[in-house]
Amino acid sequence: MPRYGFVIDLKRCFGCYSCQVACKAANHTPQGVDWARCVPAETGSYPSALRQMVPLVCQQCSEPACLTVCPTGATTQDENGIVQVDKDLCMGCKACIMACPYGARQTVEEWPTYFPDAGGDLDPYEEYAKSAWETKHGYGTATKCDYCMDRVEQGRQPACVESCPAKARTFGDLDDPESEISILIRRERGFQLNPEFGTDPSCYYLPPR
Amino acid sequence: MLPNLKAQSKWSWLVAAYLFLAGLGGGAYVTGVVAGFRGDEWAPIAKIGVCLGFPCVAVGCIFLIRDLGSPGRFWRAGLRPGTSWIARGTIIISIFMVLAVIHAAVMLGPDGCCDLSGGAIKALGVAGVVFALGTMMYTGILLAAARPIAFWSTAMLPLLFLVSALSTGIMAVVLVAALAGTAHAGPIHELARADILLVILEMIVLAFYLQATHRVPESRASAQLVLAGSVAPLFWGGVVFLGLLAPLAIDLVGFGSTGGGAVACALLASVCGIIGGLILRQVVLSGGIHAPLRAGRFEIALPIV
Repeated sequence: MPRYGFVIDLKRCFGCYSCQVACKAANHTPQGVDWARCVPAETGSYPSALRQMVPLVCQQCSEPACLTVCPTGATTQDENGIVQVDKDLCMGCKACIMACPYGARQTVEEWPTYFPDAGGDLDPYEEYAKSAWETKHGYGTATKCDYCMDRVEQGRQPACVESCPAKARTFGDLDDPESEISILIRRERGFQLNPEFGTDPSCYYLPPR
Repeated sequence: MLPNLKAQSKWSWLVAAYLFLAGLGGGAYVTGVVAGFRGDEWAPIAKIGVCLGFPCVAVGCIFLIRDLGSPGRFWRAGLRPGTSWIARGTIIISIFMVLAVIHAAVMLGPDGCCDLSGGAIKALGVAGVVFALGTMMYTGILLAAARPIAFWSTAMLPLLFLVSALSTGIMAVVLVAALAGTAHAGPIHELARADILLVILEMIVLAFYLQATHRVPESRASAQLVLAGSVAPLFWGGVVFLGLLAPLAIDLVGFGSTGGGAVACALLASVCGIIGGLILRQVVLSGGIHAPLRAGRFEIALPIV
């Protein structure tokens, strides 16, 4: 079985937010829910200040903090290392939101229109997205990125990877030492976010410069 | 450079009310059981304390269930005690509520309906106290399980909530006893004295709890928020003044007097302390700040918390 992972190359990201929008289109997430994101970061001060865009995604930790705190059994880790939430078992206690160091878990109470100035009704595309969201995730329960497993099973790439014009995101199998992501992590000194929490993420970042 | 860290907002005042009521119910029950081991003069206090246990914790649980995203599935909360503190706590609280209901039924029921021997009642009380202590500490452990929130993830928090729970529990018993007028002034006076010690202890634990926030930037940000930021009025006014200084001062005034005056002081101190206990939970909740994402040299506030 593979252990699916991501490599995100900070050198390549220029902050176009394609990943964020592609994720929304692929997963029908409502306003306020962004499983794939791009956030600005700064370090240092003039004249040596640096600005950097940091793309984010669920880190699919090997030791998921969200899994250990889940009291209901709604959170599971599948054989590919993907952490899943069963919407029919989750009671919405939000303990996972508190425990995740990466802000990967989000919950929402409604699917509001993106165009409130147009009369407040959902347009037909929004209606479709809303019903797709309700079928898969619903309201009040924890939701998260699953590396687009439905697309991966069809042999495609996760939406955020496919849409990235800079090829800053690479998806692959961490267990295969010859996979593209394994080679990138070795060759370019890939690192994980917040290693102090002992979660061993499956998402690696390549240094900016 | 530290990013602009924001406090969590997903656990609202409903959770604060739950943390407060579960602690108060456990504390009142312990007060009642300990009073039951004293002489006949303490019998009304014992009855009030034991009977406050279940309703307070149960109402607290209703608040918590209201906070759930999918309240209908609240019964699933205890299914994964192997790793989840919420599951363990659910089991501890459920056992406590069962024991407290049985104990209250034995005390309230007409003579002969629940004929338990003195020894059996004492055993029930001791078991109840064990689970009451578990309930009070669990309210802190629940928050401490969130490791990225350094303000919560400390062993000082269960200790702080335990002391506050015992203190507010005693105050709740004093309040009901003084209002009901059934208890003697002697025991109320003695409970008020015990509460002086607990309030002083709570001040010390609170000081140590806040001192321990210096270690990482996110808990320093929490301390900044609580001591000098937007939560500061609630902290200084609600927790320090209303919850600690006012009850201490009023109880000390009552310490010298006797009879009706002392009872009036104990009543007033209890009202202040109980409100302060609720505000303490809210202050701790609204001070919870996640660690920033650390990507090499870059630190980023969590985009959604």
